[in-house]
Amino acid sequence: MLFILINSLTMAMAVFLVAAGLTLIYGIMRILNFAHGAFFMIGAYLTSTMVGQAAGSVLMLVAAALAAAVLVGILGLAVQRLVLRRVMNADEHYMLIATFAVMLICVGSVKLIWGLDFFSVDPPPALSGGVLLGTVFVPSFSLFVIASGVLVFILLDLLLQRSWSGKMLTAVARDGWMAELMGLNTSAWIMLAIGGSFALAGLAGGLLLPNQTLTPVLGDSFLLLAFVTIVMGGLGSVRGAFIAALVLGLIDGLNMIVMPQFPGVAIYVGMIAFLLLNPNGFLGEGRL
Amino acid sequence: MSRYITYCLVALSGVLLLLLPLLVNPGLVHLAGVTLVMGVFAVAWNLLFGYAGLASFGSGGLFSLGAYVMAISLRAGYEQSFLLLIVLAMVTGGIVAFLVGAVALRRSSGIYLAILTLAMAEVLRQILMRWHWIGAEDGLPNIVRPHFSYGLGLIDLSSGARYHVFLCLACGLLIAAIWWIAHGRFGRTLRAIRLDPERAAFMGVNTYGYKLAAFTLSGVFVAGAGALYAPLAQIVTPDLGNMLRSTQPILFTLLGGASSFWGPLIGGFLFSAIEYGTRTLVGLQEIITGVILLAVVLIFPTGISGAFRKLFASLEQGEPAPARKVEVSDAGRLGKPLTQRV
Repeated sequence: MLFILINSLTMAMAVFLVAAGLTLIYGIMRILNFAHGAFFMIGAYLTSTMVGQAAGSVLMLVAAALAAAVLVGILGLAVQRLVLRRVMNADEHYMLIATFAVMLICVGSVKLIWGLDFFSVDPPPALSGGVLLGTVFVPSFSLFVIASGVLVFILLDLLLQRSWSGKMLTAVARDGWMAELMGLNTSAWIMLAIGGSFALAGLAGGLLLPNQTLTPVLGDSFLLLAFVTIVMGGLGSVRGAFIAALVLGLIDGLNMIVMPQFPGVAIYVGMIAFLLLNPNGFLGEGRL
Repeated sequence: MSRYITYCLVALSGVLLLLLPLLVNPGLVHLAGVTLVMGVFAVAWNLLFGYAGLASFGSGGLFSLGAYVMAISLRAGYEQSFLLLIVLAMVTGGIVAFLVGAVALRRSSGIYLAILTLAMAEVLRQILMRWHWIGAEDGLPNIVRPHFSYGLGLIDLSSGARYHVFLCLACGLLIAAIWWIAHGRFGRTLRAIRLDPERAAFMGVNTYGYKLAAFTLSGVFVAGAGALYAPLAQIVTPDLGNMLRSTQPILFTLLGGASSFWGPLIGGFLFSAIEYGTRTLVGLQEIITGVILLAVVLIFPTGISGAFRKLFASLEQGEPAPARKVEVSDAGRLGKPLTQRV
């Protein structure tokens, strides 16, 4: 029972790590970024190149993930300059297709650079074992993922809700025209948020790296779950995404207990039921 | 004038497709068949998007539903009533689309509708993947191409070329039916709803009813395309309904141009031509496809057919059309008007 709980929490936090950047970019630009999963994957590949077959220590893994986050953030800024800025005022379906095209280019580049082979990276020695919680054996990597998810959420929430720059960002997202009149450099703030959103994707890729097989389709599986999460949480809301990720994780845990022969179905059924009852998500749609 | 050019082009490409088995090798004929089926799929999807303004991301689910209905019945030995099976698959698709639409359209729109339909298709895929009676993850292989007698004589579609001819005729019929629906009173009402739902409702149009009808009809034709696909590929797998399949009609439509009826078909053939041309280049294929898509979105927001229409317009007037201005007003016509945004 506890084991399943830990498992679902791990999954919830993994999904949250991916969804956080997705909801951030939606909050500021109203773009549902199809390429997010691809940048998550690039983050994972970059980290794997940096740490090699097995990460030496936890610190090294985190450092590599942060470096990957910075690199992916810079890539994101390039995407913003070249593509997103131009389709910003067009119909939302065009934004969708533009990000889809960016995703194709990313997947193609990954295939070109790293090839089609499967990679896998072992967790660092400190995380490869487990801890006994009462009578249950808990893999320490799960604890690592849960801790990083919660930490990222707290930092992001503090940054957005409590800090001065978070307030500026909210102002730009709510009414960019007015914010510009007030003397804010809106385009710089938007660049910052977008860079942050892509960096979060890269960070998630790096942190979640050790328990996946790296393939060029890695992005897809997480992207769909992240979409479900941010829609359930209310598009653009980081807190909503956190709550939604937890709920989805628990639903998945229940699924393991009640219907073990159909894993993965309950998440979608739950989300459909939830959306039909409450079409605007947990915390409503908001601009950050 | 441009209408006659369109008719001529359609007739010409139809004849060319029909004669394809005489001209090129079976591999290419198969590819053309797949593209044609996907083109019908995209045209059916565009009935929903281009006319009613609803973006469904779960159409892959309906496609695989049609394919599975056909595959299961063909394997069960109902070859004799092949034509009825297509109708059966279409009816099944229609019923499912009606049920989904009846709930989803009432409660959601825009991105929420997109994600909702995406999730529903994913549920279907997960169930197909785990259901052993229909082959679970391996799908259903060895689907026979039918071989049936109808009053006049025996019809044998077992060879690739014969099935291709049948496929062309069937797809032609489906497309003609969609054309008829889209260009009649029904299609015009849908366009009115897309352009201004409130005003349409004010004029006494039951917008919910019309949207639901469009959703159902689109489901009917998407499932029909799926049903034609099963004997062509001779295998169906749960991956027929994955997210990439659902985004394919969207790509075709936007590449070809959503405001034109023929846009999705043009986009489909262009897309598979690009894919075929770059098939040996691992990785580069996605990059080239992505760059072309980006170029289309950034340079021709109305797709290939929109670019052609602009070209025709400028030829007829004898002066180049004011490119930038037309572009902006076209983009606005496709969806909501361009407003100042962050």
